[in-house]
Amino acid sequence: MLVKEIDLPGIGRKFVMETKAKGKMIVIVHDNGTRELYIPDPADPDERLSVGSFTDDESRKLAGIIGGMAYKPKALENLDIEIDDLVIEWHRIDPDSEWIGKTIGELKVRQTTGVSIIAVVEKEKKNIVPGPDFRFVGDSVLVIAGERQHIKLFKELLAIKA
Amino acid sequence: MDAVVFEIGLALGLIALVGLVSEKFRFSVIPFYIIVGMAMGPHMPHFGILDFRFIESYEFIEFMGRVGVLFLLFYLGLEFSISRLLKSGKSIVAGGAFYVGLNFVSGLLLGWLLGFPLKETMVVCGIMTSSSTAIVAKVLVDLKRTANPETEIIMGMIMFDDLFIAIHMSFLSGLVLSGATSVGAILKTSVFALAFILLFIAAGRKFMKYIDAALEIKSSELFLLTVSALLFITAGLSETVHVAEAIGALLIGLVLADSVHGKRIEHMIVPFRDFFGAMFFFSFGLSIDPMSLGGAVGAAVIGVLLTIAANSISGMIAGKIAGVSNKQSANIGFTLVSRGEFSIIMASIGKAGGLLPVLQSFAVVYVLILAVLGPLLTKESKAIYMLTKAVGAKFRRAPQE
Repeated sequence: MLVKEIDLPGIGRKFVMETKAKGKMIVIVHDNGTRELYIPDPADPDERLSVGSFTDDESRKLAGIIGGMAYKPKALENLDIEIDDLVIEWHRIDPDSEWIGKTIGELKVRQTTGVSIIAVVEKEKKNIVPGPDFRFVGDSVLVIAGERQHIKLFKELLAIKA
Repeated sequence: MDAVVFEIGLALGLIALVGLVSEKFRFSVIPFYIIVGMAMGPHMPHFGILDFRFIESYEFIEFMGRVGVLFLLFYLGLEFSISRLLKSGKSIVAGGAFYVGLNFVSGLLLGWLLGFPLKETMVVCGIMTSSSTAIVAKVLVDLKRTANPETEIIMGMIMFDDLFIAIHMSFLSGLVLSGATSVGAILKTSVFALAFILLFIAAGRKFMKYIDAALEIKSSELFLLTVSALLFITAGLSETVHVAEAIGALLIGLVLADSVHGKRIEHMIVPFRDFFGAMFFFSFGLSIDPMSLGGAVGAAVIGVLLTIAANSISGMIAGKIAGVSNKQSANIGFTLVSRGEFSIIMASIGKAGGLLPVLQSFAVVYVLILAVLGPLLTKESKAIYMLTKAVGAKFRRAPQE
């Protein structure tokens, strides 16, 4: 991807990004810390449309969100990390899932799906590598590891409502 | 002495007040600082104890204004970078050259029309060729045009204009301030000033390592004091070798711009530039008799018309060279019309050199008109372009009908 940088003396610095979708995104970093986003105006090629203006603080937040850094697995439905064939994902259990109240051993999770549960994050406590007698509770987040097709199977089973 | 603090307080209060009002109406603050200065000047009538003329503090305010010029030019130097200008490309250098050339010629033309002597004419050229970086940058930010392709051309051309301001000011300081009368003597002082500048910059580059090391100061207090000391000492030393102190301030700015601490200095100096800069415009206003403005209106109006014409043409040329659309070229010309801080500094050189007082009145009216008209023209440049195009088309069509 091409990023062009241009000095705007007295104003700040301009960054022009050509995106894969053949779009253009222009970021102006003002000397006073304000960042502005612009896109070309589809109605008038000579003009630029302001997308938004952000303070220094807001820009950092925005950058974190876009860059995937402002991530909190607890608050999210799922997140995945892939290392070759190994996939690690985060999944939340619905409070009305069939799994609630049952143990890992009863459900034979690994035998039936091939997926290992690495950790279960509940509201109050974290269970790292839970044993077969671990009992599921609602609204907890499961951190699982396995291959793609195994994870797919796991998700199908997890989705069955009680 | 008691009155001085109060008078300064009063002056600051008035400056802040007109500043707030002009900000509210989205006008440039510079002409308003000058106007309030004029209104408070020694030329105004006074009524018994209601004496708003700044008599006791006059000298002090004048000194703060002088410091203001130092900070304004120091900042100009800091912002300017020769390598940046060279990097900006041929099209900008060519466009900038046309811009400076045409505006300079319009200054010559006006000086000739008014029958001014050489020195006055040269100052007029300076006044008319100095775009206001502050106003232009502010208007572009306000109008959300910073991302437009022509904006980089505009800011590049302003940088070129800044280079002209630096060179012309050193030339003027040789011409006007040295008191030299013969062509030879004028040439000698001007060349000397230019040589001093080049030598200073070369030396600065050579010793950059040591400057960087010397400015490696953690405490912001000591850092500020060191930088200010450098600024005042350089300005003062320049004065002793007959180079205007303003040029000295510009020089040290140019040198420090290349320092690794450049950004930190810039950041730190802005409040001083704003404070003392406002005092400069105010004190410039103080020195002007409002009654004398009437005599300068005609000249200023002609000057304004010449400037708009020169800008429109050079904007079109610069746009053509850079390969942007005609509409964007119109933006270039009209945006660069704004005049402000540097025109007033040019006029103050004329004042310091004891040139015709009408120069100052001219500068005030001229800057006043263009500081207000410039942003308006910038905002409406598209409409004006469409209008002239429509009118042009009508004229071209007319003979056939």
